Amino acid sequence: MKARSVVWLRRWRLLLLLALIGLASGPAVGTAQIFKTVASKQQLYATPSYSGEVVGMVPEGSEVTIVQQSGDWSQVEYQGQKGWLPARAFAGGKKLDLSSLLQGKAVKESKTDEVALAGKGFTPEVEAGFRQKHPELRYDQVDQIEKFSVSAAELQAFRQEGGLR
Amino acid sequence: MKMVAFFLLLVVLAVGGGAGCGTVASTVASLPGVPESVKPAVDIAAKTGEKAVAASREISPSEEYYLGRGVAARILARYPLSKDQALNAYVNKVGQTVAQKASGARPYKGYHFAVLDGTPANSFACPGGIILITQGMLKACANEDQLAAVLAHEVGHVANRDGVNSISQARWTEVATTAGTEIAKQYGGTLGQVVGQFEGAIDDVFKTVIVNGYSRAAEENADRAGVAMLQQAGYNPAAMTAILTAMGAKGGSGGILGTHPTVTDRLDNIKVVAQEANTQMEPVRTKRFQALLKP
Repeated sequence: MKARSVVWLRRWRLLLLLALIGLASGPAVGTAQIFKTVASKQQLYATPSYSGEVVGMVPEGSEVTIVQQSGDWSQVEYQGQKGWLPARAFAGGKKLDLSSLLQGKAVKESKTDEVALAGKGFTPEVEAGFRQKHPELRYDQVDQIEKFSVSAAELQAFRQEGGLR
Repeated sequence: MKMVAFFLLLVVLAVGGGAGCGTVASTVASLPGVPESVKPAVDIAAKTGEKAVAASREISPSEEYYLGRGVAARILARYPLSKDQALNAYVNKVGQTVAQKASGARPYKGYHFAVLDGTPANSFACPGGIILITQGMLKACANEDQLAAVLAHEVGHVANRDGVNSISQARWTEVATTAGTEIAKQYGGTLGQVVGQFEGAIDDVFKTVIVNGYSRAAEENADRAGVAMLQQAGYNPAAMTAILTAMGAKGGSGGILGTHPTVTDRLDNIKVVAQEANTQMEPVRTKRFQALLKP
């Protein structure tokens, strides 16, 4: 009886180990999710780094399959080509929340991303602290500059008039 | 149960050696099947893993954006934003035309261009995509194609992430290891610490952009990127040579001219990439430039 219990315990531990490895490897369990890119002409990198080799290009609005994630980078598969895309390739430039991918649920962006950013380097909260410390800086004009926009139609007309592409 | 806890910890630590381990470890800790007694150990393992990842990570697009806003705010404290809306709109149209041909990923919130009051001929590329050009530099340009050349050169600096690369390695390691770690959370002052590091990083970039200038390689790469953008957009790529020559003749050293390499070296660098251009519509572009710039 005792011997059978030991065997059962060993098997249980082995199963637990396999299950955890499966969970840790995430997309390898076959629950990969599809996302649409929102930025134009995204380069696909061989490694999760801007200094990595460029292995392809993903046009805006392309559907890519998320394979795995590392920091702000997502490894994706696009038309049979695997490569890494930065967070800015996706809506809002935010890191994708892949936690539910492990459970097999639909992946969606979370507002908690912004909250999580608070503890991860230069964030709106850090900027607010810096602005408080330096009221002489012209953040008001920076905000104004960011409101300058050229519509697609205006740009098209401008290019056409000047014989530009 | 102790064996199970040890086992779980081992698995988490082993997984934690790879990229993105913090997320995985946290997920494991939150699984319903993980015994309560094990969770603290899993949490510690997860947090240790997060620190290692943070220390080796690159600056993210959103961090680059906030850094660039800080650099721009400092520059604007020196040279205020021009109130000429028509001029700002025009510069944005020229800038967006060349920026759409830039290689690499689009910045976190895109490119923005603005004209600054100020007679010194200068132009600045802030990380994250804000590009500033002084009235003095606009006046130094003879036509729209030369303005496009200046803006394309600055877009080249943003696309090549030259501003971000001017943050000292020591400072970035400090940022990456401090932010978000358990030590910072437990001992308080996280925000204050990161604000100090943020200020230091802005200072690094500001000094490079305003005082010291980029490296020779960075300037030459931005020239080449600029020429490529001009060609692709349909501007005359020879405009890059023309504006560099004109600025060199005036003996300036700001903005597009940088502090080094010499103008002669830079002209040598781009002459091999500048190709023939269709200049048929150049007079139309020059006319609209002069309507705004040379009243």
